[in-house]
Amino acid sequence: MATSPALDVPAEPPAKRRKVSPEPPGRNDTLAATAASPPAVADLAEQLDEQERKKYVKGKKIGSGQYADVFSAHLVTNPTKLVAIKKIKVGPEVKEFGISYDSLREIKFLQELDHPNIIKLHSVFSTKNQNLNLVLEHLPQGDLLKLIQDSQGITYTPADIKSWMLMLCRAVYFCHANSVLHRDIKPNNLLIAANGEIKLADFGLARAMADPFQPMTYNTITIWYRPPELFFQAQHYGGAVDVWSVGCVFAELIAREVMFRAWPENEINMVKIICEKVGTPTEDNWPGVSKLRGYVTPGDVVPLRPREEWLANFRAIGDIGVDLLIKMLTLDPRQRLTAEGVLRHEFWTANPRPSRLEDLPRKGGGVEAMGESLKQRGGELPRDGGGAANGRADRVARKIDFGNMKK
Amino acid sequence: MSPVSKRDPRLGGGGGGGPDGELHTVMRGLSLQAPMPTDTGPAEVCPVCKSSRYLNSSLRFLVNPECYHKMCESCVDRIFSHGPAQCPIPGCRRTLRKHRFREQTFEDIQVEREVDIRKKVQAVFNKREEEFEGLREYNDYLNDVEDITFNLVNNIDVEETGRRFEAYQKANEKEIEENAQLAQQEKVSFSAMQKAERQQARERRDAARREENDERREVEENKRDVLNRLASGADAETVAKEGQQVQLKKRMDRQAATERQRQLQAASDSRNGSSNFVVKGLKAKQKAEPEAPIDPFGGIRIASKYFTLQDHYVWEGIQDTQKDVKHIAGGYDVRDYTHRSLCAAFSGLGVFIADEMTERDRATQDSEAIGTVRADIGLKDSLMADPL
Repeated sequence: MATSPALDVPAEPPAKRRKVSPEPPGRNDTLAATAASPPAVADLAEQLDEQERKKYVKGKKIGSGQYADVFSAHLVTNPTKLVAIKKIKVGPEVKEFGISYDSLREIKFLQELDHPNIIKLHSVFSTKNQNLNLVLEHLPQGDLLKLIQDSQGITYTPADIKSWMLMLCRAVYFCHANSVLHRDIKPNNLLIAANGEIKLADFGLARAMADPFQPMTYNTITIWYRPPELFFQAQHYGGAVDVWSVGCVFAELIAREVMFRAWPENEINMVKIICEKVGTPTEDNWPGVSKLRGYVTPGDVVPLRPREEWLANFRAIGDIGVDLLIKMLTLDPRQRLTAEGVLRHEFWTANPRPSRLEDLPRKGGGVEAMGESLKQRGGELPRDGGGAANGRADRVARKIDFGNMKK
Repeated sequence: MSPVSKRDPRLGGGGGGGPDGELHTVMRGLSLQAPMPTDTGPAEVCPVCKSSRYLNSSLRFLVNPECYHKMCESCVDRIFSHGPAQCPIPGCRRTLRKHRFREQTFEDIQVEREVDIRKKVQAVFNKREEEFEGLREYNDYLNDVEDITFNLVNNIDVEETGRRFEAYQKANEKEIEENAQLAQQEKVSFSAMQKAERQQARERRDAARREENDERREVEENKRDVLNRLASGADAETVAKEGQQVQLKKRMDRQAATERQRQLQAASDSRNGSSNFVVKGLKAKQKAEPEAPIDPFGGIRIASKYFTLQDHYVWEGIQDTQKDVKHIAGGYDVRDYTHRSLCAAFSGLGVFIADEMTERDRATQDSEAIGTVRADIGLKDSLMADPL
């Protein structure tokens, strides 16, 4: 465990027996040992891998990024059954660290979680040079970000917002109930299926909930959706971090602009803007906050924003909706609603009724949008186009993670 | 107004022997008994004024659905012009109104009466098949309705049946109204559709005839033209060729025009069709209105039947987190950990490998996926598989 480069990843490699892990040919694996004696015959793992690979016909590339390429594909046996294959690019770090943790996490958690509002991982296989291929559900309708940003072309109602949020909250509740923190909830990780359903995708930053006294990284979640406790470098946190992100998405859906948009996007500015829009975290409204390692607050203490101000800003969603929003964007993570608490809120059963799937507005961004979204790496801000992302790699979670390990 | 419930017992029902409810008597009453002593006899004589058709060929007989006694038009005028009056037939004390008199449709007065009753019952019991969950329920409903109708027609338990009838009418006022409107709409749209279809057929026929005429005329003209030009001394071959070309061109033009026409027609057809369809769809939607209440959890609740989670467990490792300010302030909830631990401890209980495997095989539809299945199981073994 001491050699593990990131605390985030469980000590035991979760995919120990999987064919996807690059196995050195000489290794004494239980699976390989049975079949590997004559070198001419491929070992059992490879055979299985090939079987899996041959089930799909890869189609055209629908997205390409620094981190992964995304292809459209379909089953050999049934051409109408479409899937998306996310082929993770082999970077230089593979030699040093093996497969990236993002892909490991993604595979590990997506295999566990089977829920209508979470993207399905149909299978995983590798190709010649140990490339990882994730066979994912085909989600042709783009992502939620596209809908939010197209303020000219798309209008939606509070009922639509409620419907989307309900699907998102169900997914988050399901994750938390299964002890998984997603840690990267944002509109462009919410893909839309052909029938209009929202699917939570990109588990590249997810992890299982930690044991007591097992530290987790605070440098996770895309910065605009990161909760205050992570800016204060809390290393022991829970599902509340995801609930904050969900609250940010909720606010973004209503206002059609990012709730906490700091520019330039660094932690200090983010804390500043959260203080401005919600209130300054103090010992009064958040017992113990000043003991957190990174606790700093800018200048004057801003009192907690009164309810009326929230109501004025988010009038469209109604009183009950604003109440839910306030409870999701509560500074103190212990006072914030849990994912289950969110679902128990009266907002969902109040009028208006959530829109039916077939009535939800569509963007029809098409497969390209899916490719665009899937190729990204966790924690990246999508808005500045692919080019700028390269330059800002120093803000990506994993990179800083590695630095932290050396302490 | 409930004429149905206060029917003259002399009508049908075996002359008062009916109310005992015995079917065969009733049937006998219906089929054998002469419904009215007054309307027998080949010579049609008005039972009131005794004038006969023999003397007055324009004599018209009317009945009132209150008691179905027959009398001639002039008697009706005479007796009921000044407002409601008693039926002039001896022994019948019903008060009749003039506007309710009408001509008899069926020769047999019993049939006339039954049809009236059925109409009345149908107007109230107008539920549709699509409102029922299944054929069985619908048939049960039809059976009930028929019971009521039968009772009314044959004067069995008239009071009781009438009460039921009225209670139903009162309770379902709104739905009855809705269905009646629906039926009305359907009738209107059906007749409109038929009319439109007839119109279209007529237009098509006309167009075909016109086209034929045009073609014939053009051929004639062309021939004449060629002859004229030949007569004026042009070269025979070129003239013939030109003539053919002209004809060909005209025909092409005509074909293009008809094609355009046809497309137009198709477009309007589809528009008509879709408007009809939309109306139908809307109706169906209104039917499906009562939706189930929203379940925020979407039917997925994660709760274990094997353990209940407590807020406190006596173990330092756990209790310390509740004292450690960093855990508290960061929002770490030790219950997440205890929940997961308990899940891990109890997972596997109540899981039967054989069932699971068949389930999986069915899901993947492919026995070759065993490789992935095994890997999945391996993963679940390694950590945090919480089937509970």
